[in-house]
Amino acid sequence: MKRAAHALFVLILGLLCVAVPATGAAAASGSPASAATTGRTADLPPTLKVGTEGVYPPFSYHGGPGNGLTGYDIDVMNAIGKHLGVKVEYVETPFDSMFAALEAGRFDVVANQITFNEERNARYDLSDPYVETTGVLVVRKGEKNITKLADLKGKRAAENITSNWAEVAKGAGATIVGVDDMSLAIDNLEQGRVDALVNDKLAIRNYLRTKPDAGIKVVAETNDVSKSVLAAKKGSGYLPQLNKAIADLRADGTLDKIYAKYFGAAVTTPSTWQIMRDNAWPMARAALTKTIPLTVISFAVGMVIALAIGLMRMSSHPVVAGIARLYISFIRGTPLLVQLFLIFYALPQLGVKINPFLAAVIAFSLNVGGYAAEIVRSSVESLPRGQWEAASTVGMGYAATLRRVILPQAARTAVPPLSNTLISLVKDTSLAATILVVELFRRAQIAAAPSFEFLALYGMAALYYWVICLVLSFAQSRTETRLNRFVAA
Amino acid sequence: MSTQTDTTGGTPAAADHLVEVQHLAKSFGDHEVITDISFTVDPGTVTCVIGPSGSGKTTLLRSLNALEVPDRGVVRIGGTTVDFAGINPGPRGRLPKPQRAELMALRRHSGMVFQAHHLFPHKTALENVIEGPVVVQGESPADATARARELLDKVGLAEHVDKYPFQLSGGQQQRVGIARALAIRPDLVLFDEPTSALDPELVGDVLGVMKTLASEGWTMVVVTHELRFAQQVADQVLFIDGGVIVEQGPPQDVIANPQHPRTRTFLTRLLEPI
Repeated sequence: MKRAAHALFVLILGLLCVAVPATGAAAASGSPASAATTGRTADLPPTLKVGTEGVYPPFSYHGGPGNGLTGYDIDVMNAIGKHLGVKVEYVETPFDSMFAALEAGRFDVVANQITFNEERNARYDLSDPYVETTGVLVVRKGEKNITKLADLKGKRAAENITSNWAEVAKGAGATIVGVDDMSLAIDNLEQGRVDALVNDKLAIRNYLRTKPDAGIKVVAETNDVSKSVLAAKKGSGYLPQLNKAIADLRADGTLDKIYAKYFGAAVTTPSTWQIMRDNAWPMARAALTKTIPLTVISFAVGMVIALAIGLMRMSSHPVVAGIARLYISFIRGTPLLVQLFLIFYALPQLGVKINPFLAAVIAFSLNVGGYAAEIVRSSVESLPRGQWEAASTVGMGYAATLRRVILPQAARTAVPPLSNTLISLVKDTSLAATILVVELFRRAQIAAAPSFEFLALYGMAALYYWVICLVLSFAQSRTETRLNRFVAA
Repeated sequence: MSTQTDTTGGTPAAADHLVEVQHLAKSFGDHEVITDISFTVDPGTVTCVIGPSGSGKTTLLRSLNALEVPDRGVVRIGGTTVDFAGINPGPRGRLPKPQRAELMALRRHSGMVFQAHHLFPHKTALENVIEGPVVVQGESPADATARARELLDKVGLAEHVDKYPFQLSGGQQQRVGIARALAIRPDLVLFDEPTSALDPELVGDVLGVMKTLASEGWTMVVVTHELRFAQQVADQVLFIDGGVIVEQGPPQDVIANPQHPRTRTFLTRLLEPI
């Protein structure tokens, strides 16, 4: 599932990348390429929105007091904000959506160990580097055949597909297996699903400190120094201020201090039980405040859409029925993930920007509407014609017949398939994680990233989903019993 | 029980008939079900329509309340006249709104009892009966309930008012259907083979109720195979075959002493099936 979702991710990003340069070029057409370097100067907004992954320790992750967002990049960004006198607000985004979200205007700057390269520099405003590191080649303990980058030829390497490290591994001849974050890459390596990975030396060092008995080892460093930079939209005008702040913080020793904090002393790791205890409530809260409201609101709105579309579908008016048919066909013929991305990442390019939760509600409602419309239609059509006739002989019109006679009976046949839709929806809300909604699954991801406790945390997430679905199944059987009261056993 | 008296404000010449049907015709695709049928029904009388299956008698009955839309012909019930020549559903069976309103107006004059009762299964007997008066006619639930209890009592179901249709026998279900048809105070009650789907021992109850209604002066048009009922109760009998009225008149003529050979053949088959 994860893998399939990932493939979709790539597809969408591909589509977005086709669209992005086009609009970018149009915007920049007045001022030539020099805009990037000299460019205009613009003040940073009073509240600077910063995109970051939140699952990439020790640079950007959840830990420390209150399980808040922390890490090297976060501390650097906070220091920059303080230095420049602006408030910094973080928007947590999966890495592979980071640039799409930047383009969509979800935030102003990316602080997430973005490695400088020329391609990126051509498309985005990149700051001066705030930390320099090299890449390391990592393999399983006991691996004999891969000792240098050149040995990657024909091997499989796990990487974030849009990251610089993927480019390095690909350049060495490796086949890239796309993963969402570094900890998953390591996981895949340890389990033998890939042969190697290339990643940031500091990140790997941090991992090995956290998990000294991990089944992996560093065998080589990459030649090139990788420079981590902040990224903004082309022509943002933020670079002069950001660069000055970085220079000042380097000069006054702040950057060194932050470096020592994350890469100096040893760390103590909490036990699995401790991590589960620490995250039990945050995950439950995510379920209560995001997953469940998302499900309930989307289902309610979706049912209204379904009723309208279902009735339109049965209309004898060809245009009305045609519209409904087209709608259902589109919803059923396109992946939910694509629908989510269209609303969240693609609509902003048309000037429509909506917040993540609302975008998720809209996407899920439209989706439920399409699927449930067919349920409405089939359950209405399953009723005998005589019911319509009988209603009309006592004088009822279309609306009264529907409301008083048809829908109450259709509800009975519709409840089992609609319950399926609802239960699927509960689980599908986890896709909202990809559009920045910190719901149950995303909360588990965030907790798992710095601790590498995948089994415990994803297991707990699964349990939470299961409990929600058990409650719904119980409600379903109650409803069925109620609706079956007028039918012979 | 007042509704059987006609409320026509129509033309004085037509005032003595409650129902007037002129040159009705209806085809389903290439199959002509009704060729040309005209007849009248006087208030307070019972008309039985008999004929072989496929003869068009059910289509004729359903045309009287526009459940079927005839191709041609004029139907007048009380003060409402519909000329079907001007009402043509398109290929998808869709009618413009004013024409639908016309059909609704015609439909309001009659109550319908179906062969398969078509009770609302999610409503109790009482709720089935008050549905029309309360939802459509705006009668207060209290009044409608009191009247529905009387009607259900009249059809012998006083004990069963709160039962759902599935808890009732076929004959009881059909009698709820009759009460439901009467509850909307129609000028005319239409029966579409009301006993054909019933077990033989349940037929008597339903026919008994219908007899009572006839004696109370309800105007009824009944499509039926029950010759004995027609003989005892009907004021006029229409024998239909091949889409036309072959023979019509009082039962002592049409049933006891049929003139037309097709009528005779049909009656013989019905009375001596083996």
